[in-house]
Amino acid sequence: MFGIQGGKQNAEQKKKSRAVYPLAALALAVATALSGCGAAAEGGTAQAAPGGAQTSAPVQGGELTYALATSPDTLDPRRSGLAVSVRVFSALYDTLLVRRQDGSLAPSLATEWEASGDGLSYTLKLRQDVKFQDGTPFNAEAVKYNFDSIIDPDTKAANALALLRPYKSSEVVDEYTIKLNLETPSQAFLGNLSQGMLSIVSEAAAKAEGEDYGKKPVGTGPFKFASWTENAEIKLTKNPDYAWGSAEAKNTGAAYLDALTFKIVPEEATRIGGVQSGQVLAAETVPPQNVVALQSDPNAQLLQTNTIGFPYTLFFNLEHKPWDELKARQAVQYAVDIDAIVKTLYLGTYERAWSSVTPGILGYDESLEGKLKPDPAKANALLDELGWTKGADGIRVKDGKKLTLHYVDGSPNREKRNDIAAMIREQLKAVGIETEVEITQDVATVVYQNWDYDLYGNSQVNSDPHGLTSFYHSTKEGDRRTLSGLSDPEVDKWLEEGAVEKDEAKRAEIYKKVQQYISDQALILPIYVFPYTVAAGKSVQGLAFDPFGYPIFNDVYLQK
Amino acid sequence: MKNSAAIAKSVAERSAAAPRREGRRKAGRRFRFGAAELLTGLAVLTVVFLAACALFPRLIAPFSPTDMNTAAILQAPSSIHFFGTDYFGRDVFSLVVYGTRDSLLIGVSAVAVGVLIGGTIGALSGYIGGRTDTVLMRLIDVLLTVPGILLALAIAAALGPGLRNIVLAIAVSSVPGYARVMRGQIMTIRKRGYVFASRALGARPSAVLLKHVLPNSLAPLLVMATLGLGTSILAGAGLSFLGLGVIKEIPDWGALLSQGRGYLTVAWWICTFPGLAITLFVLSVNVIGDHWRDAVDPKRKGRG
Repeated sequence: MFGIQGGKQNAEQKKKSRAVYPLAALALAVATALSGCGAAAEGGTAQAAPGGAQTSAPVQGGELTYALATSPDTLDPRRSGLAVSVRVFSALYDTLLVRRQDGSLAPSLATEWEASGDGLSYTLKLRQDVKFQDGTPFNAEAVKYNFDSIIDPDTKAANALALLRPYKSSEVVDEYTIKLNLETPSQAFLGNLSQGMLSIVSEAAAKAEGEDYGKKPVGTGPFKFASWTENAEIKLTKNPDYAWGSAEAKNTGAAYLDALTFKIVPEEATRIGGVQSGQVLAAETVPPQNVVALQSDPNAQLLQTNTIGFPYTLFFNLEHKPWDELKARQAVQYAVDIDAIVKTLYLGTYERAWSSVTPGILGYDESLEGKLKPDPAKANALLDELGWTKGADGIRVKDGKKLTLHYVDGSPNREKRNDIAAMIREQLKAVGIETEVEITQDVATVVYQNWDYDLYGNSQVNSDPHGLTSFYHSTKEGDRRTLSGLSDPEVDKWLEEGAVEKDEAKRAEIYKKVQQYISDQALILPIYVFPYTVAAGKSVQGLAFDPFGYPIFNDVYLQK
Repeated sequence: MKNSAAIAKSVAERSAAAPRREGRRKAGRRFRFGAAELLTGLAVLTVVFLAACALFPRLIAPFSPTDMNTAAILQAPSSIHFFGTDYFGRDVFSLVVYGTRDSLLIGVSAVAVGVLIGGTIGALSGYIGGRTDTVLMRLIDVLLTVPGILLALAIAAALGPGLRNIVLAIAVSSVPGYARVMRGQIMTIRKRGYVFASRALGARPSAVLLKHVLPNSLAPLLVMATLGLGTSILAGAGLSFLGLGVIKEIPDWGALLSQGRGYLTVAWWICTFPGLAITLFVLSVNVIGDHWRDAVDPKRKGRG
């Protein structure tokens, strides 16, 4: 209680300095602890950590503890909206298809697939030897139930719904053949079937549990659900019947591990420290400063994979003045030194982004790399041209109004995004733009309801450039608008063509045009490509990632 | 009429002066030179220096606190950067110096607001008594049931981030303590002979309260406020550490700690020095407060 102890505190206490000693001791203890930590981190030997798995015969048994940075929202893939949930899905469930490292599709629960001539339907042949963990068979009916329930508004499906569109209906051709019908042709559809959010759930379990299914999930994956303690841990145990691993997994049979436990440890230092002290065997999302330290730690290894999709990108709100003007946006582009930001904050562990999509996405335009260079002189010239003149405080003014940029970012400080804002504020101040940084816990209201921002950042894990539609296609009156608020019939036309074009090369060309347009119009500031990083003890072997950056647990074993 | 009022005044003044003189004489006796006095002297110097940092950071800090030198990030303390540099390449010493202003501002204004509200409630309650006392004190009792830091957290979370809201949160959570002490003190003082004398001579109740009761009741409250200053700064640092604070160009000590904690294993200096600044200030204020408390403590009379 503030203040209260002061007045009442031990009036009879004779030595006035007595109260002082514990405090001083505490300060000393803290100082010692701190310097101790520093020395420990610096004193590690300079042995390089191996990048991935070593080859030796896999060992059976053991439990892998894997620390997650945030808690999954639900273990029902249909209703989840978080990438962290998908990390658990990859152990619990299988998808119809999987994606190879080169981006092409490989069989998983579906063995063959074929598109109809008009692109309005896909026929999939399914594996015949698959059982859900509750013993019910996996067949065409199960797939039909899954997809129909996603488009059923009563399910309140989340990201899965967006991925499944434009799905219309399913026809069960025979027990292991299904025909999926679409509303409109979509080149992204088949690829989306490889995403964890479209994992196949057990119909019997989903129907029996209803809304609570997300707490008692049943899939076909190599691990089955055991228990979930809110904000603490999710326990999974080996599914001994598993024998249908996808063509992409090294181990297609039952998992080597007996158990897989996800611990939820939001505090970065605790999570990474847990690996170093052996409390957990692996921990995800290693902060850059720890990446550097871990590389010289003989007792730990660092695994890293870049994610694909849309990089962390700052979007201008084109509906807000003066950022509706090309020159104003270009001035910001010239003023911001993205290289310096990425190098400073991520210490060389993150790659800088150059375009609106990441490398590895169809049509990624390499010609944009190195195109945008910081040039404060040009930024100043552009702003002068627009009639913004520097005032006494160094901030530009036009018609009595200050040149301000309202930069919104979310809390907590994920991937140091708040620090990016702080750096951009300093860089923009140098050319006379005042940046108001608003950090909010309620992004849903500030950004997606009130659209009250000039600049806001977002990233997305995705497999297909078709996802650009949700950022740059114009929207109808009454529909949710896009982050950029762009409305250009030419871009709309390209995006619509890209959705249906069957020729890969032509399709890539279309998305290159879109990327170039976004670059020429200075619609965005692409910042970084997010690498998924995992710190693991030396005993953890065989941990690999799919192209989305999700771990493949079936191949993991613990070296004794 | 005129005459009697004048007599009342002089009597009251004399009677009021008596206890004050008594306090001063005792205080003088306490200020003999010794280890405790040396410590207090150092504490005073620290507080004066930190106050100077808050008022004239430009004169003390060698760098601008917002200057991000990306060529020199995460540098260990050196003769150029006394406290090293943070992950933006900002000079940590300059940041700590500039951060003093908001840290002290939070502490001082939270205490001022808390003392003002708490003191007023306590004084009214103790002096008027009766039903007013009962109602006010039950309200205070309700507030007392909630732990201070929890109350401050709840208020700060409800009001949202911002310097003003942090100050309010800490002030409100400290009100019950001040109110209780003030009420107790007023109730003791108002039964003193000089107060009765002044009443008997026909002084108005408000005049008696303001001239005689209040001035003689303030000492414990002020001591408590001094000690509360440290607690308030600590609470303010705690709230901004938790991210409930202000998002601004120049972070206060708590925000600095929070920003640096992710780097504890690789760059200990980013949060160690703001932490030490907090420790040093709170320690100094407590030493001064302790000393003052002892000096005005009636129970120590005759022991020194």
